[in-house]
Order: sequence, then C-alpha cells, then structure tokens
Amino acid sequence: MSVVVAYKYAANPQDASVGADGTIDWSRAKPEISEYDPVAIQLGRNVADAQGTELVGISVGTSALTHKMATRNALSKGLDRALLLGDDGVATWSSTKVASALANMVSKIEGADLLITGDSSIDDGAKMTSALAAGFLGWPCFQEVTGLEKTDEGYEVTQSIPGGTRTVSVVGSVVVAATPEAVTAKNPSMKEMLAAAKKQVDTVEEAALELAEAPISVTGVAKPESKVRKNVLLSGSDAAVQLVAALRADGAL
Amino acid sequence: MTTWIIAAETGVGSLVEQARALGGTVTAVTVGNLPIAGVDSIVAVELAAGAPVEAAAPSVAGAVTAQPGDVVLAANRPAERVLAGAVAAKLGAPVLTSVKSLAAGAAQVGKAGGIGLEDVAFDGPVVAILDGGAQPAGEVPEAVTFGAKDYVATVSAIEQAEVEAVNLGAAQRVVAAGRGFKTKDDLDLAGQLAEAIGGEVACSRPLAEGLGWMQRDQYVGVSGQVIAPELYFAIGISGQVHHTAGILEAGTIVAINNDETATMFEDADYGIVGDLYEIIPQIIEALE
Repeated sequence: MSVVVAYKYAANPQDASVGADGTIDWSRAKPEISEYDPVAIQLGRNVADAQGTELVGISVGTSALTHKMATRNALSKGLDRALLLGDDGVATWSSTKVASALANMVSKIEGADLLITGDSSIDDGAKMTSALAAGFLGWPCFQEVTGLEKTDEGYEVTQSIPGGTRTVSVVGSVVVAATPEAVTAKNPSMKEMLAAAKKQVDTVEEAALELAEAPISVTGVAKPESKVRKNVLLSGSDAAVQLVAALRADGAL
Repeated sequence: MTTWIIAAETGVGSLVEQARALGGTVTAVTVGNLPIAGVDSIVAVELAAGAPVEAAAPSVAGAVTAQPGDVVLAANRPAERVLAGAVAAKLGAPVLTSVKSLAAGAAQVGKAGGIGLEDVAFDGPVVAILDGGAQPAGEVPEAVTFGAKDYVATVSAIEQAEVEAVNLGAAQRVVAAGRGFKTKDDLDLAGQLAEAIGGEVACSRPLAEGLGWMQRDQYVGVSGQVIAPELYFAIGISGQVHHTAGILEAGTIVAINNDETATMFEDADYGIVGDLYEIIPQIIEALE
C-alpha cells in the first residue's frame, strides 16, 4: 500500500485586493501550501508510519508549484516524495479537470489505496476536490474526517457529523478529507527542511494523463456589491446604551 | 431540460425553488425513501442496511443521466457534496460553488473567498452546490427505485456529543464570538447576550477548529455557515474576509473589538471600540 496526500499551492485571498472592475490582484499575495493541507500531510504521515509504508504528495497547479522553495516546503512537512503537475494553463482548468488529473496521478502510484485531502482550500474553499477525485477513482469518499486507521480489509474512518462523530468501516480503497483539527501538524525541524532538498520530486505532463475537460469559461468579472453599512462608531461610557437605542430605532431589536 | 436534485435528506427546499426557476422538469434522486415535495419525479436509491449515504455514490451517479443543458443541484453538506462529486466525475461536468445566480448555460459565482465575482458559461451539464434550505412543501410524486453496485462501507459506531446541533441558518439573531474571548468559559458572556436578544451563539473559525471551543456547525465564514440573520453581533472578531464573506447578506451588523483597526468595523453598521468583557454586560443591562 501507499498513502497519497493531495495538496494545493495557493495564496490567501486576505492578501489579495479587488479592483473596481472586479479583477483580483494577487501580486502581493504569496502562494504557499494551503492552510489545511499540512494537517492532511500529518494524518497521512501517521497512517504511513503505522503501516511502514511511503507517503506520496501529489499536486496540480501553476508552474510555481514545482519551484524549489515550494517543493521543499511541501516535502519538509512529512512527505517521502512528490508527484506534481505544474503548468500555468492549470489556472483556467475547472475543479473537475484538476480532480481528474489528481485521480490519474494516484493511479500512477503503485499500491495506492488511500487519498487524503485537507478540509478546504485557502482560496476557493469549495470542499469538492476529495469528492471529485473519488468519483474519478471509483473510490468511496468521506469528508469531515477526524481519524483514520488501516484495517485488514480497508480503513476505519472516524467522521464528524452534526451532533457528534461516527465510525465507518470501509472495505477497499478510500478518499478522505480531514478536518483541520484531525491532528496537529508539526512545524518541520531544520533537519527535516534540509532532508527535503534531497527527496524525490517527479513531474508529469498534461499530455500523459487522460483528463476530463469539463470546460467552463469566464465571461466576466465583477466586484461584489456589498451592502452599504452605516459604519457608526459609538463611544463614551454609555456606548452600550446608545447601541441598544439605535438598534431599537432601526427595528433590529 | 431537466434539473436533477441530489438529496440525502429532506432539507432541499431552496434547491426545488431554484429548479423551478430554471424551468423544465425536476427530478429528485434520493438516497433512501425521502418524501421530496414539489418535484415532478423521484428516483430513490436504496441504501444497504447500516451503510453511510456516501456508499451510494455509484447508484446516484448512475441515476443522474443528465444531458447537455441539464443542471444537477446538491446541498452544501458533506454527504451530498460527495454524491455530487461522483455525479460530476461521471458526467465530466464542471462544479459550481459559491453560486450567486444560476441560469441555463451561465452562472455567477463567488471567487477567492467571496472577494470577487465571476460570470461563467458552460455548454454541457453542470453540477451546482447551493444551500439546501428547509423541507419543501407540496405534492410528493411516487418514487421509482434505482440501484447499482455500491461501495462496501458500514457505520459501526455513532457517538453523540454532549451538545445539541444548532441551526444557525434559521436564526434571526446571532451573537458570534472570536479570538477576543480569552477562555472557553468566557463564552458564557456571548451566551448571555444571545439569550437576552433571543438569538443563537456562533463563532469565527479559530474557535471551532483551532481551539475546539465550539462545534464545527457553529462557525460562520465562507467555508462554514453562510448566514443572513436580521441582527449579527461580531464580538472579538477581527473581520478577515473568510469570516465576513459568511455574513454579507446579514441585516444589521454590530462589531465590538478592543482593536480600533479591526477590519470588522468596516463591515459593521454599529461599532464599539472597547473591552468586550465590560461592554457585553452593559449591553445586557441596557436591554433590560
């Protein structure tokens, strides 16, 4: 068996700005391993260690993904090796096409029977990559997963559900999306960062994969019309009284 | 055209409404026998005893025989996202999320945590993830059943947490707590304010996920609950875009923060700069 983790290299929208015409300016936002993906890597590391098997990271993104700093950063978090598709054309791919590439790449990893993703990505937060990749792999998928153990016939998955948790025994391979609190991701040590430079990174080209196009074209962008807020700042020792009076006057209370 | 609704529970009223707005026929594909009202037909996928909904993904994907021009709708809940992913993979269809509007062949979606909007166009069938809504009312058509070879998985244990699940989406008044609260016990203050205004307590993402002080279904933000209550208190919340994207449509927003530079004030109707530990009791007193 091999454990595979899919991660995303993306920038935080908090650091981006939006022009009046709706164009998003990412120039001041630095891409990094998406916020919740280190948790997925750590969870994968724990499962791989328990089984004495390898942990392979896969990712599909623009060419920045394959730059040395990016790959070292990902590998230092606990991956044994990485298989990457870095191509600037990916920026226009639908999430379905990206997931079909990830599923293709999982199939290229010998003995892979577990794919882990983070809860959601820092940029779009769609929570769909695990579900789509599972669809292409023909594997069951579980989201909001807090724990994972290998069993003789497959995996035992602990999943957060409204009002509690449940345990699901799965026969065969599985895709899971880990909750952010599933495990605590460790910060890599200096030794791990240095070792990351020597780990194996393979790349794959789009042409080598059989992809679902699922085309979608962007015909325009716009800046969201946010509700005009009053922006009234209340101060003084009776600010709370003023607030309640204002809310009552507005009919909000 | 046909609009397909994937349903693993009955809370799909908003999807039925959207499907009717698109026109054409509406078919619900349900996991188990669910009485989905207001649709033209129901295809029910049988779930093996003890199996989780997710195991039925192959049957659901088989039942949704969408053609170009068709739309497949699913609620933004974990099991239904999984079913929708299986359908999209089978159809080779794009998936729309953060959907602002949806029409035949075109949609407007939120991008990058809601800071931007994109108009998109597509030719083939499309899968759209929307808020599910309440249980739809009306006539329930008789279901036909469908089954394929599903995944083998069994729910072997369920553990209830000690807290009740809250339905933030239905709350008209919400008090949300953020990192400004120093300890879990201090959240009682937010609870007291919520009680005083007859509302629910919510939180920002770090309180639910980093600190684990609240339940996952209580955090408000683009990847959590997107809500539109009439009145929203953001207390001790800095106002990062991930959070504010979850309350864009809220009626009146009140921000309380000891940091006057908190961006939450920019998105608020009323703001008080100060110590939440002093201000919340003052508000409760003023309400009495």
